[in-house]
Parts: sequence; C-alpha cells; structure tokens
Amino acid sequence: MKLLLVEDDEEAAEYLKRALIEAGHAVDHAASGRDGLFLAASESYDVIVLDRMLPQMDGLAILRTIRGARVKTPVLLLTALDGIDDRVEGLDAGADDYLVKPFAFVELMARINALARRPPPQEVVTVLQVGDLRMDLLKRSVTRANVRIDLQPREFQLLEYLMRNAGRVVTRTMLLESIWNFHFEPQTNIVETHMSRLRAKIDRGHPRELIHTVRGSGYTMHDGAA
Amino acid sequence: MFGSSSLRLAAFYTAGFAMAVAILGLVTIFATRAALIEQFDARIRTESTAVKVDYQTGGAPGMIGEINERRNTPGELSFGAQTADGRPLAGPLARLRRPAGWSTVRLGGAHPTVLRVLTEELPGGYRLMVGDDIERVVDLQQSVLKGFALALGAVVAVGVACGFALSRAVQRRMSAISGTAEAIIDGDLARRIPVGAGDDDLARLAHTINRMLDRIAALMDSLRQVSNNIAHDLRTPLTRLRQRLELSLRQAEDPVHRTQTEGALRDVDAILATFSALLRIAEVEAGARRSAFRREDLTALARTVVEDFAPAAEDAGHSLALDGDRPAWIEGDPELITQMMVNLIENALRHTPPGSDIAVRVTASGEGVVLAVIDDGPGVPEAERERLFGRFYRLEHSRSTPGSGLGLALVSAVAWLHRAEVKLLDARPGLEVRVTFPPA
Repeated sequence: MKLLLVEDDEEAAEYLKRALIEAGHAVDHAASGRDGLFLAASESYDVIVLDRMLPQMDGLAILRTIRGARVKTPVLLLTALDGIDDRVEGLDAGADDYLVKPFAFVELMARINALARRPPPQEVVTVLQVGDLRMDLLKRSVTRANVRIDLQPREFQLLEYLMRNAGRVVTRTMLLESIWNFHFEPQTNIVETHMSRLRAKIDRGHPRELIHTVRGSGYTMHDGAA
Repeated sequence: MFGSSSLRLAAFYTAGFAMAVAILGLVTIFATRAALIEQFDARIRTESTAVKVDYQTGGAPGMIGEINERRNTPGELSFGAQTADGRPLAGPLARLRRPAGWSTVRLGGAHPTVLRVLTEELPGGYRLMVGDDIERVVDLQQSVLKGFALALGAVVAVGVACGFALSRAVQRRMSAISGTAEAIIDGDLARRIPVGAGDDDLARLAHTINRMLDRIAALMDSLRQVSNNIAHDLRTPLTRLRQRLELSLRQAEDPVHRTQTEGALRDVDAILATFSALLRIAEVEAGARRSAFRREDLTALARTVVEDFAPAAEDAGHSLALDGDRPAWIEGDPELITQMMVNLIENALRHTPPGSDIAVRVTASGEGVVLAVIDDGPGVPEAERERLFGRFYRLEHSRSTPGSGLGLALVSAVAWLHRAEVKLLDARPGLEVRVTFPPA
C-alpha cells in the first residue's frame, strides 16, 4: 500500500514511518502542511494519514483543499483534540476516520487497512460470505453450512462489520465507535461479552473457527483454510 | 405587566403631573376669584362713597332720595339705608342686619342671588348698605373648575396611554436583552443584543453588554485555545512515550522486560483516560453542547444501553433490566446521555456484590422525566450519601480515582447541562440514583 503521512513532529513521524514500512507499506512523509498538500494533489495514494495540528497550515484546511480538488483518497485524521465538536468538525471537513493521539500502532494499522479496502460507495453489497458463513443483508439472515443462525440486532451488526472487514484486524475501539457509537472508553468489556456470545453462535460445533482473537489488538475474521 | 419598572415610572409621573394640574387649577380659581372680588369691592366702595357724599350734603332725605333714584336705574348696585335701631328707610337691602364691614348675603325668592355687601355706619347713626350681585364670579369659578377637571382627565388619560406605550417599547427592548442573556447562559456565545439606530440609555446599555459579551467570548476562545494547546502539548510527548514503549515491547526478549513495558503502556493509557475524561467534563461544563440538543426518547436510549450492558452484567453475576415501556421525551444530547447512563450502570455494577439486581427505570410525568438507576446492593449510609453527593459537585476530591470519581463527576456535569437534578436515595436496600429532567 502507498501511504502519505503528514506529521510535523519529526520523532513521531520517524517512528510511524519506520513501523509502517516494516508492515510492508510504501510511505511518503511530509513535515509541513504545504508539502503534504502538494504531495496529496500530485501523487496517488491508498490512504492519507494527516495530523490535524500543523504549523503554518492547519490539517483541516489541507483536508478541505484536498476534497475541494476532488481527491477522493481516504483520509485518516490524527489529532490531539477529542472533543465531540472537534470530531464532528473533522468528519465534516471530509475525513474518513479519526484517531486521537496517542494511539497504539496496531490501532492505526487496523484503521488504515479498513480505509484502504473500503468498497466504492456505488457498489451495493447484498450478500457477505466468509467460508461457509453467509449473511444476506436484504433478508437480514445468517446461515452457516446452510443452517440458520438467530442473532440479536447488535450481534448482527457486529458480524456484519467483521465480515465486511474479513481478513483484516478490527480493534475494540473501532467496534465501540462504529457499532455502539461510543466515543469514550467504558469500564465494562461490552465488546468482549458480545463477541463471546457471537462466537458461541457462529463457531460452536464447527471444526473451523471463523472469528479469531488477535492478542493485544482485537479480532479478525477469516476462513482458516484461505 | 405591573412588574414592569417603566410602567411604574410612568404611573408615578402621571400621578405627579395630575397633582400639579390640580394645584394649578386651585390656585387659578382662588386667584381669579380674589381679583374679581377686588374689582367688585372697588365699585361698591366708590358707590358707597357717592351716596355718603349725598348724605353729607343733603342729610338723610338726600340719601334716601338718591337711593330711590338709583333703584330704578338699570345695571345699578343694590342699596339699603336704615336707622341706628335698624328701622328700614330705603332700598331693597334696608332690612339686612349685618355688622359694619364686608359680608356675603344670599337672597332667596324668584331669582336667588349672592350679594357682596359693604355695611357702613354714618355719623348720624344711620347705616348704609351697598351690595352687588357676584353670581358671575361663582359662574366663572365653576367654568374654570370644569376646564381644569377636563384637563386633569386628559392628563391622566394621556399619561396612562403613554405609560403603556413606553413600557411596551421598553419591555420589547428589555426582552431582547434578557433573551440574549438566556441564549448565552445556554452556551450560544455568539449571540448579541440587537442594537437599533437610536442612541439612548438602553442602546448604550446594549452596546456595553455586547462589548462585555465580546470580551467573554474572547476569553472563552483563548481558554479553548489554551486547553487545545495543552491537549496538543501533552499529547505529543505522550504519543512519543507510547511509541517508544511499543518499540521497546517489540524488541523485548526478556519476559520481565515485556511485562514491565506492558505495565508502562497500561499506565500511559490510564493517564490518557483520566485526561480525556477531564477534557470531556470541561467540554460538557462549557455548555456549548446545548446548541446540539434535539428531542430524544429517553426510554429508547435506556433500552439500548440496558441491552448492550445486560450480557456483561450477567457475566459478572448481576442482572440488569429496564423498567419502563412508554416513550419519555426530553431535549438533550443522546451521546452524552448515553455516556451518563453507562457511567451510572457501571457504578452500580462496580459497587454491588454478584447476585445484585440493577434496574434502570424511566418514568414521564407532568413534572418531568425521571431516569433512575436502582440497585439492591449494600447501599450507601445516609452520611456517606451526602459526601458522595458532594463529590458530584466537587470534582477535586475524586480526581485520584479515574474510574469512579470522574464517572460520577461526568454524570453531574451532563445532568447540569440538561438542567436535570441528581439525587441519591435509599432504595431499601440499595442505592437509587435519580436524575430528573425537565419536561421537553
């Protein structure tokens, strides 16, 4: 994947760049808003990782300029501001996702992956399939090996999210934000409790598990055979 | 309406002005009367002197002749003469018995009249009386009185009308000012008092208040700027610290080193959680979120939260259930209300032993919408409850324990933002946290 990293803090940028390259990505780094804007407009990237607070040119201003120029590259906004209004403002300016500093590297990686392979909006998906697990989004039904599975609404949402991101790591925070719309950290492990119930319904009695825990980062769904 | 200071002022002025008109009327009446009487008196005195001259030259018969002669002249005054023992000699006033000097006489009969009479003792013991009809003075006095009464009525009517108009105008401008103040209290710091073209005291007051609001907005802005800077300046080194720890964790081969680093990472995240909670509370307390309020069904929000937390509660050996099935509408921020409910439920989960039941109750009545989180755990003793309640408002005391203390502080801040009241009650057994929202 080809990534653009716009971050003014040299040390943080150096670390992120190294870690992203280690993870197998090509990374261009811009230390100022102006350089970032120039690169974003002239090169083609899979994902742009943009720091919100930059000297000279504010990250949001860059984002608006990029969007104004019809560049549709997914943008992940990194920010030290986590007020509700800050988040709304960031998304309104055209950000696709929002990550508050400091963050775990796995969190950043998971979000970049989720953004990069997002299907184009005009493509309407009605059926999701992972191994012998099949989800019909129109009938709101789930079957595994042709056996119907009854799910609670939240479990259905959770499974849909996992299946849409099959093969990628999905973090706890991503689930909290997109399934529960929680932009805070609850003390209770509601993700884990829902996930264990979902797993019991999906994987119990089947020789091959589809939902896997990724230690220290989150979950992933894949057909082990692949 | 009577609470209006401008109306009271207008009433006060109207009363004062009416009083002035009344005094002016009385003074005018007395002054005209005195002036007229003076004229009458002068004429009476002149005529009296003329008759006295006749008496001096012609004696009593001369005087009687003169009186009888004048009696038949139209427009003449009335005369009367009598002897020292009161026997009438001549003239229509001859039968009057009045001491020497001025007096007022009312005569009945077909044409009742009021006379001003001068009685004089003549040297021979005769008495001469000269009088004039002052009915005209009384008439004049009455028409002056009528005129002033009319004027007084007009003054009061105009005064009251002006008072109402004035108070309406002032009221309108006052409500513009208080409306702006209410909007500011609700967190809309951009609002200003509309200022018209005029340059009167109210316009100047509006200008001054607007300048004050500009100043407050500037201060709030710089406060926000400062906290943004702090957020940025703290998060940047925290980000580096976290990255260094992650890097160190990846390179760690020694298990002790790993465990230490993992612990350090957890500590960084805990610092960050406290930091975020504090910023969130400050954001809520700033009140700006009120502009994002919308109509929400509290029952529906509570149902979602209860359904989301019931499995976790069950795993911890608790039961969590919703009590309430009818919609309960409030004006609010769904995200913050959800976080408040989560904090209350987690608080109940943390402070009750396994096996406890937790109920979330939503009831709506005319007085408002009540959200209650009730557990049947050990509860909180009355004295402690006061202290806990105090904590709700005294963030300082609970800062050391991020999970609980700030959780309740946030509940308190969110309740304040929604103009809701938080109460801790004895659920016999257990604790009930009751949040009462004003009706939508």
